[in-house]
Amino acid sequence: MKLPQIRLSRRQALSVAAGGALGGAAVYFGIEELGGSTAAAINTASGWRSPLNERRALAAHLLRRAGFAYSPADLDAAAALSYNDLVDKVVSEQAQPLTAPADVTNHTSLAQAWYTHMATTQAQFPERMSLFWHGVLTSDYREAGRFPFVYQQNLLYRSAGLKDLRTLLASVTRDPLMMRYLTLDASTATAPNENYARELMELFTLGPGNYTEDDVRESARALSGLRIVLYDANGSRITAPKYSASDKQRYTDQINQLVKAGASYRGTLVSRLHDTGTKKLLGHSGNLGADDVIDILLAQPACAPFLTRRAMTFFASPAPSDADVNTVATQFRDSRYDLRTLMRAIFRSSAFTAPSNYRSLMRSPTDYMVATMRVLGRPSLVTTAARAALGMDQVLYDPPNVAGWPSNAGWVSSSSLLSRINFATAATTKLTGAPDAGAAVATQLDNVLSPGTTAALTAAHTESDRWFALLASPEFQLK
Amino acid sequence: MSVTRRDFLAAGLVGVGAGVIVPPILAKGVFAAGIDGIHNNRVLVVVQLAGGNDGLNTVVPYADPAYAASRPTVGVRPESVLHLDAQVGLNPALPKLKSLYEAGQMAIVQGVGYDKPTYSHFENLYVWEYADPQRRQRDGWLGTLLGKQLDSQGHPLAGCALGEATTPPELRAGNATVSVIQSAKGYTVQGGPGRQATAPLLYSRTPGIYGALFDQALGTAESGMKVLADGAASYKPAAQYAATGVAPAANTLGSALQLTAQLIATEPSVKICHVVLGGFDTHQQESTRQTTLLAELDTAISAFMQDIAAHGQADRVVLMTWSEFGRRIKENGSAGTDHGAAAPLFIVGKPVKGGLYGEQPSLTSTVDSGNLKFTVDFRSVYQTLIRDWLQGDAGAVLGASYPELPMFTSQSPVFNPA
Repeated sequence: MKLPQIRLSRRQALSVAAGGALGGAAVYFGIEELGGSTAAAINTASGWRSPLNERRALAAHLLRRAGFAYSPADLDAAAALSYNDLVDKVVSEQAQPLTAPADVTNHTSLAQAWYTHMATTQAQFPERMSLFWHGVLTSDYREAGRFPFVYQQNLLYRSAGLKDLRTLLASVTRDPLMMRYLTLDASTATAPNENYARELMELFTLGPGNYTEDDVRESARALSGLRIVLYDANGSRITAPKYSASDKQRYTDQINQLVKAGASYRGTLVSRLHDTGTKKLLGHSGNLGADDVIDILLAQPACAPFLTRRAMTFFASPAPSDADVNTVATQFRDSRYDLRTLMRAIFRSSAFTAPSNYRSLMRSPTDYMVATMRVLGRPSLVTTAARAALGMDQVLYDPPNVAGWPSNAGWVSSSSLLSRINFATAATTKLTGAPDAGAAVATQLDNVLSPGTTAALTAAHTESDRWFALLASPEFQLK
Repeated sequence: MSVTRRDFLAAGLVGVGAGVIVPPILAKGVFAAGIDGIHNNRVLVVVQLAGGNDGLNTVVPYADPAYAASRPTVGVRPESVLHLDAQVGLNPALPKLKSLYEAGQMAIVQGVGYDKPTYSHFENLYVWEYADPQRRQRDGWLGTLLGKQLDSQGHPLAGCALGEATTPPELRAGNATVSVIQSAKGYTVQGGPGRQATAPLLYSRTPGIYGALFDQALGTAESGMKVLADGAASYKPAAQYAATGVAPAANTLGSALQLTAQLIATEPSVKICHVVLGGFDTHQQESTRQTTLLAELDTAISAFMQDIAAHGQADRVVLMTWSEFGRRIKENGSAGTDHGAAAPLFIVGKPVKGGLYGEQPSLTSTVDSGNLKFTVDFRSVYQTLIRDWLQGDAGAVLGASYPELPMFTSQSPVFNPA
């Protein structure tokens, strides 16, 4: 059967690729015809019977995407509000503080602390935003070494992830983990390192095709000379504790004491390492520095659409149209890049609420495991989750590359699907105190089931079996 | 349960709705063309060196004064280079590959790249994965090969990504079936017969844009589990895949290549395997980082070659390495190197006519202010492997013809089943 295809523009395809799919996965669409006996159940463009014209289902759709999951009571409260009021409520949520792990230099404890926080916090939306930025402005835990850098970056995305883009980019340019990951901390006037300069343009603000190799070289010069320095809670520079291989514990204790009293490492400009010559960047010239580069990039017409598309691909639709992106991008830019304005516009857009958009996104592994912990009320699964993450290819702070995580179809493979199914088995073993699985089919899956899932639920004998079928189902992998 | 091409077809045709927007990539397996293609027993193993391996420190032009001048810190000392000839030699971390070279089983293609290169990881990955410097193709080159010429044989293990959890873009195509197996141990439905019976029930006739992809993923998993279970009984590794200890650590190139050897030795349908070794983006502290990675590569590839030979498979397996780019000629100020252009790659195996192919690019006559100018188009390598090794139709994959590298003699044995 040969099918007609709607091609995305090159620009869209590139953005999809930059958004993390990198493969052909979401690059083009085709159209297929209806066949067989499932016709009655499948009557919308999403392939599923879409309930999104019902208020309660639309509220659930938003809660799944702006957060991770919800209890029946959460859903009742959400459905009592008008959709626009619900969006406002969700978007204005303030992050709750992360409970610091016992050792802030240990990346594994930090990852578990974050899983626990995602699985228990009352303010899910700011955590979802942190997870988004962790994929866009991504970094690798290996760069932290013996320093509390992963912890600090986690705090940064929670505190700045819903402010404005300029503040966020200015902060991330001085974030120690990012500086190490993209080797900005090694860049000097005499040997400017292009790594961060390139990704700042290609992956964080403009996208390929909107700058030249000269722009990369010139902005590398402007960004030269930043070094990582320790400050106390009052912003005074302090001496870092001395590391001794023979007494690691003493060093770790000192770092933990300092960090928990408010000390933090930050990038600071060391003038003798900075190139003070004239740089030419995207039509501007002068003795440009890091913040000038950020301002110049934010003023580029490509910036708002580029980041809007990344956010919409993560939150709204696997391949948003140019028109939908531009509508939201205009509001984003006009708000001086206010991130809550961006998110409000996305959640209110028809690209988000259209019935055809039902189950158009795939839950990422972290999303899937956190949602499972929340619907079962089992945050104790975090240690299982941290182990299972490897099989699903999403170990926090260990992205495949600087473009961050895959998305949607990029998460589906024979191996990762087995890992999800096996996580559902682990989560439903020795199940006690879980809500009623039958009711969850309505609450969590909107009673919209494939024939296969219906058959599996019908064949299940115990609550554990029913919960397994629900959590391992294709429906629960989607949102 | 073994899932056949026919099952996928059935699943796909029922599972999608009217006016449904289905990315064909998601519906792969659904529209199998059934084109008859390659019918021999040859296997291609592709080793991706992710991050941009520094070619100049892999195959070192040690005799060129411009090399030492450009790399006072990260350069390999001429006395430690493993000489291949009077001009170039291998990094000292590659002694076992040097032995394979001396045995005439390793081809080194120098100066591989393309015209007007970009310096972005992602653009270059796209170029190499899709065999298209214009970056317009939508199917990976190995996926296209699988879908059009190999997958029509209908086995879900014809294309495998091993040691990885997600499908590499090279293998993705609208009608290619790919098995992704991170580890043999984890490739199972846990929890007993009840769970094992429920999983395929859940993933059958799934609607929506992900439906066919989901169903196919579980279908290939079911087939793969059976192959692995059967193979585990008959295959024992006959080589040391790690420098220390008997078994390679999980999630290393050694463990991925050992799994590759097991599948090749036990399942004749396996045709294309992909494995990856990451960490080559050496902007900083390059010497230590790259040496560690090259040593892992050296041990794993030589063990793999020894292992498949011990299992009687050496005549039908060829391995290639690639990386998205080489690195800048001149080192940066961080004891590392920034993104560059052309680089050498390796093609290893008993059927290969070993030696140096292509020209080493000049270190002084460069492109884009200090980058190597390619001397061999990377698609020449692809065409050589598709046409001369796999005996497939390279034009159907690459859309054009490129000069071949004469590294496969006409005497290489081909097994054509009746």
